Amino acid sequence: MEQRLSGWRVALGFVVALILLFLLLPSLITIAISFGNSNQIVFPPRGFSFNLFRRFFAEEGWVSSTWLSIRVATLSTFLVLMLGVPAAYALTRGRFPGRRLLALFLLSPMLVPHVAIALALYVYFTEIGLSQGELRLVAAHSIATLPFVIVTAGAGLRHIDPALERAATVMGASRLTVLRRVTLPLLTPSIITSGLFAFLISFDEVVISWFVARPEYTTLPVKMFSSIQFEVSPVLAAISTMLTALSVVICVGVAAVQKEARSA
Amino acid sequence: MRSPTKIHLREASYAFPAALFMVSLFAFPLFGILYQSFQRNDGDGLTLGAYARIFTTPLFLRVAYTTLEISLGSVLCSLLFAYPVAYFLAKQSPRRRALYLILVLVPFWTSSLVKSFSLMVLLGHSGIINQALAAFGISPVKMLFNRFGVMIGMSQYLIPFMVFPILTSLQRQPPELGRAAAIMGAGKLRIFTRITLPLSLPGVVAGSLLVFILSLGFYIIPALLGGRRDIVFGNLVNFYLREIINWPMASAVAVLLVLTAIAVAMLLSKIQDGSSMLSKESS
Repeated sequence: MEQRLSGWRVALGFVVALILLFLLLPSLITIAISFGNSNQIVFPPRGFSFNLFRRFFAEEGWVSSTWLSIRVATLSTFLVLMLGVPAAYALTRGRFPGRRLLALFLLSPMLVPHVAIALALYVYFTEIGLSQGELRLVAAHSIATLPFVIVTAGAGLRHIDPALERAATVMGASRLTVLRRVTLPLLTPSIITSGLFAFLISFDEVVISWFVARPEYTTLPVKMFSSIQFEVSPVLAAISTMLTALSVVICVGVAAVQKEARSA
Repeated sequence: MRSPTKIHLREASYAFPAALFMVSLFAFPLFGILYQSFQRNDGDGLTLGAYARIFTTPLFLRVAYTTLEISLGSVLCSLLFAYPVAYFLAKQSPRRRALYLILVLVPFWTSSLVKSFSLMVLLGHSGIINQALAAFGISPVKMLFNRFGVMIGMSQYLIPFMVFPILTSLQRQPPELGRAAAIMGAGKLRIFTRITLPLSLPGVVAGSLLVFILSLGFYIIPALLGGRRDIVFGNLVNFYLREIINWPMASAVAVLLVLTAIAVAMLLSKIQDGSSMLSKESS
């Protein structure tokens, strides 16, 4: 009996390992290729070099679109934090009529297909004559990231005992002091987490940017997308490595922040 | 003593900037395409023309069928792959689970372009698999720019989305249930089919609906990994907007897409309400 049980376990573990391999292996292969020194895609890569990364910095347009992506992601992250954190506070602490409906409305960009949002914003920006390329992207990305900030900050708020805030109020602290000295410090880990995720989502966003971006304002993913359609260029392997590194750094950062918060 | 209604309004007001932002840059534009979808392409006046044309062109009907086929296929494939992973994760100790979860979270947070590009490198005509096959003297197999490529790309993207809701519903099950059944003499398989699987169905359904909504609106993966015949709603919107330059048609397709997503989302919230009521009753 014991024997058969462990046999079952091993089979399950094997299947799960295969599935996880399917999720991870393609990206790992691309990372390996990005450090090869040939200008063609070969695996296993021959030699070791940073040639493809050098090409990324030398070729026209890659660096400038990366800067644009960084600027857009930074600006939209700040914007959605300013909008989303107070909104999360209202939705978790407030008891007012229409609260559920408001929550549904503020989170709905998660469920509406991005192609539809993209088309809607394209038509809207054209009609109101908003032609500033960077502003279009910041506004569009903020729509896509706002729900994630509200969800993450809201989850953080739900873990803060309202009794702490009440105790401070009873002891004579003003509303602003309670917010500044009690709620915000306790909420900081969630704010950092949601900010990191908002940055990553904005930095990787393709579909909405592809519709909304003006030709001279191509973000890194948009440039990547149009480039992949032309040819499977090895430079893209180097970019993939850098993007994956960014994802991993942000995931690790989030995990560290959460761990810190739990031990504090 | 402050009056309770006043406090409520003050807290509600914190959501005002976000609500204003969403009204002006989300609700307004969406109503804009609803209005646009009733416009004539050549001038003024409201008409049902765009919808009438859409439902009579063979192109739209074929695309609708393809989208449905790919979406349902993606739900099935990702369910098939995600369930064992979720089951495996649920059986681990919390420490190990956190460790293994990273292996699901990293692909979840990897850019969809990176994933698509990696699959192109792997599956392409002169890609790595075909390079390996050539070493054994096997002629290249076409795995890209066809339905196979789309399905591989979609499942790879969607599996993590399916793992999380199933894992949640598996973890919610009290472990005593399985132990009780084992004591009463039920075998592993019987415990799984009679207890674990049925109790995880809310997670399965929630995950499936979520994945279905996501795949209805897909754009990048079919565009990059699919062939000429794998055009879905997302690509059709782009086609009407950029190639034909017909805003009413593009808007009508987008409106139908949003309406379908809303319908599925309502179904999803109904099921989640139902399942949370169930767990409240049992506790």
